[in-house]
Amino acid sequence: MIFSLNELVHWLGLTIFEIWINLISLTIFTILLALKLDNEYFMDNSGWWIVFSPLFVADGLNTYFCAIIFIRMHMGSMIKVGILRALWSLISLLLVFVFKYLLCKKLSAQSTLEYSEVLSPVFILLQLIAIRACQLH
Amino acid sequence: MAVLHRALFTWFNLLIFLILLVLRLDQRIQWNWFIVFIPMWLYDNILLIYIAFNMILFCKNAHDRLISLRRMVWYMIAVLMKLSAQILVCLKLEALQWVLPAKAVLAPFWVLFTALAADVFVHLIQNSRY
Repeated sequence: MIFSLNELVHWLGLTIFEIWINLISLTIFTILLALKLDNEYFMDNSGWWIVFSPLFVADGLNTYFCAIIFIRMHMGSMIKVGILRALWSLISLLLVFVFKYLLCKKLSAQSTLEYSEVLSPVFILLQLIAIRACQLH
Repeated sequence: MAVLHRALFTWFNLLIFLILLVLRLDQRIQWNWFIVFIPMWLYDNILLIYIAFNMILFCKNAHDRLISLRRMVWYMIAVLMKLSAQILVCLKLEALQWVLPAKAVLAPFWVLFTALAADVFVHLIQNSRY
């Protein structure tokens, strides 16, 4: 589309495998979300946590994948690049996880935070992504 | 357009959209949902123009016209699907009297995400780069 897959990989610092995992989890998430919004399933208090579970599972898989990449880079004597890559992955995964966790709590009425506070990790991530965009050639 | 310009344009649109979304969700503004989605309409329309422009260029210059054209048509369909999903979301939020089922609203997203996942998977297998 507007970006090729390689440009996206360079900009967002994600691997193609991570993008694929995220797309699969988003598909499952939207299916569960539709079921929840139509009041067919997941009616109880823990319903939103079940709806969001594919996204949390994807986060877990991506973290595992990034850990493996870091270990392999470390073994391949690419320590500095490996640490920088692991740091970026850790920060982005953490911020996205915090956003989803806060959103889930907000939707299940377990917290009184406003949406501006819930989305604050996304805004921080956006600033970091803007910095990465400036490093693109 | 250079990749930096495209990235910054995307980033700026997303930022404005998220700010408007947060303000609307927190009830600080009572704007129509179609107005809140203006950055997205703008972005999608520019995307459509960009793809159409590239399509014409490919038709004139590329050696492997059929494959390039097929790819561009797929991109166009993906953007149109995103656009239709956004229109349905806005209608669901704004026209409450219509009672649109969430399944119908989110169906374009299911198709879009599945197709994108298949596309990325094919790329993953063909290039063997993770």
